[in-house]
Amino acid sequence: MQIPMVGLLLATAIGTSALAADKRPPLPTYTQAYTPTTVDERGIWMEADERERAQRDSRSLVKDPALNAYVRGVLCRTVGEDRCRSVRLFIDEVPAFNAFMTPNGAMVVWTGLRLRVRNEAELGAILGHEFGHFELRHSLKDFKSHRTGTDLMAWASILVRNSGNIRYAMIGQMYAFSRDQEREADMTGFQYLARSQYPSSAAADVWEHVMGEADATAIGRRGRAHHKYVAGVFATHQTDLARATYLRAASIEAHDVKPAVVDTHQAAMAKWLPIFLNDQIKLNDFGGSEYLLATLADGTGWTTPLLCARGDLYRERGNPRDLVSAA
Amino acid sequence: MIAFCRAMLVALMAVIAATAPAHAQEKTGIKPGFVLQPGTARIVLMRPSIRVGAQSTGGMYEPNADWTDQAKENIGAALAKAQAGLGNSVVGYVEPVGASSAKVAEYQELFGAVASSVIEYQFFKGNRLPTKKRKDQFEWGLGPDVRTLHGLEMADYALFITTEDHFGSTGRKVLQVFAAMARVGVTAGVHKGFAGLVDLRTGELVWLNADMQMGGDVRDAEGADKRVRQLLEGFPGKPVEAPVSITAVAAAPPIASAH
Repeated sequence: MQIPMVGLLLATAIGTSALAADKRPPLPTYTQAYTPTTVDERGIWMEADERERAQRDSRSLVKDPALNAYVRGVLCRTVGEDRCRSVRLFIDEVPAFNAFMTPNGAMVVWTGLRLRVRNEAELGAILGHEFGHFELRHSLKDFKSHRTGTDLMAWASILVRNSGNIRYAMIGQMYAFSRDQEREADMTGFQYLARSQYPSSAAADVWEHVMGEADATAIGRRGRAHHKYVAGVFATHQTDLARATYLRAASIEAHDVKPAVVDTHQAAMAKWLPIFLNDQIKLNDFGGSEYLLATLADGTGWTTPLLCARGDLYRERGNPRDLVSAA
Repeated sequence: MIAFCRAMLVALMAVIAATAPAHAQEKTGIKPGFVLQPGTARIVLMRPSIRVGAQSTGGMYEPNADWTDQAKENIGAALAKAQAGLGNSVVGYVEPVGASSAKVAEYQELFGAVASSVIEYQFFKGNRLPTKKRKDQFEWGLGPDVRTLHGLEMADYALFITTEDHFGSTGRKVLQVFAAMARVGVTAGVHKGFAGLVDLRTGELVWLNADMQMGGDVRDAEGADKRVRQLLEGFPGKPVEAPVSITAVAAAPPIASAH
């Protein structure tokens, strides 16, 4: 009699703890085949459609089906099969760290991003962030925020004497709005990642590496490496340090221990690595490129494409001893 | 996102600077000595670029999908009507699908860039580049490879058309009134367009007509007729120039908000 009682009690305890464990904020409501309804939203979708035409016809578009399938696979594993189905994916050969999603559901991933993430989870973290922007319809909200801001500025400039301060405050307000959205997208992306098979700590890892590269670039250009926590008035995003900090805190709180997944990142990159590295080296950013090569070598060891790129990097700089190192 | 932010910044700057409208000094350019006999050429109309929306109180462009759809329909119909008066047959370009569409897109962009250069560095007399200063000179082109575009092998000329309308919102017009009281110049509405003819055998731009303050409300059929008439003003090879359209332009007020 006692044993079942204890069992029942235990079961209730486990039940409540399981309920209590899911204190995670809910994901945005998912709508299949969403179509815009208001004048503003239909307008920005129309513009986005036009831009997507240009993107489709762009010469820098990477059409390789294998690479596209790999990125789409990571997106689907991060945000879920049903959500990712509606996304149209474009990979653009631009050697900078960026990806964006347009209001009509097209995702553009720059190849510089591919070079800087070290595994599927880190790529998933960024794609989840962009998908968060799309799902929360941030472009529309940002458009409205800018319209309200510029409207008030126009009125202030005419009705108020010496309205400089008002206008400055309005501009600051618009950028603050943009930063709030970025933070919201960070946290939404984090939620996707935490619910996926990938470790949620990858979100913070990305930003730590971005900071590392920025430091290396600054030192390479004889500058000073420093990171602020508080974003400036005209910053569109939170600072890298702030993002790394709050995403790290979130991942410690989430405490997700997941079995390691088979990572196909290196395999998917193999064919394109020499091309992307060549793009990177042409950026004339010795410190940053050297840092990037070192982090890549951390994962795989100094493979042929990495050694070749390092040789090119030194040859490009052409200091007397560099030509010896390059050989 | 970046492009969007940049567009916003541009809009922002426009507000801060409260810029005066740009007045084009010349509107039409034609290659010296170029004549097009009626009934001798086959002209292909490239996919027109048409954007219609509103202008917010602060001067931002608010794209409007319904208006743009109406304008595309109306301008298409007006062009078909105007064809009869052009003297030569004009057929719509059938966009290729697949690999060749990228090349077409590139030439569309290139035409846009060349046309803006002509407007900036030829039509503004004071802005002319040293190589463009000779009198009656009009030497611009897209390069001879334009004839290799898919589907243009049998054509002689390509006609490009671009229009952009931002209709001043009520808020913008009220602001304009108050600004006028405070002796500040604020414009309401942007209505610009240009049309160009490219010789497909040489790639030269033989005719360009640009107007930064166009008339005609493209959202209705009548206005679209007027817009097309203005766009094709001075079109080479026209049997008779309609005198109505010329007076319409001359009478346009410096701050037009086209109704």
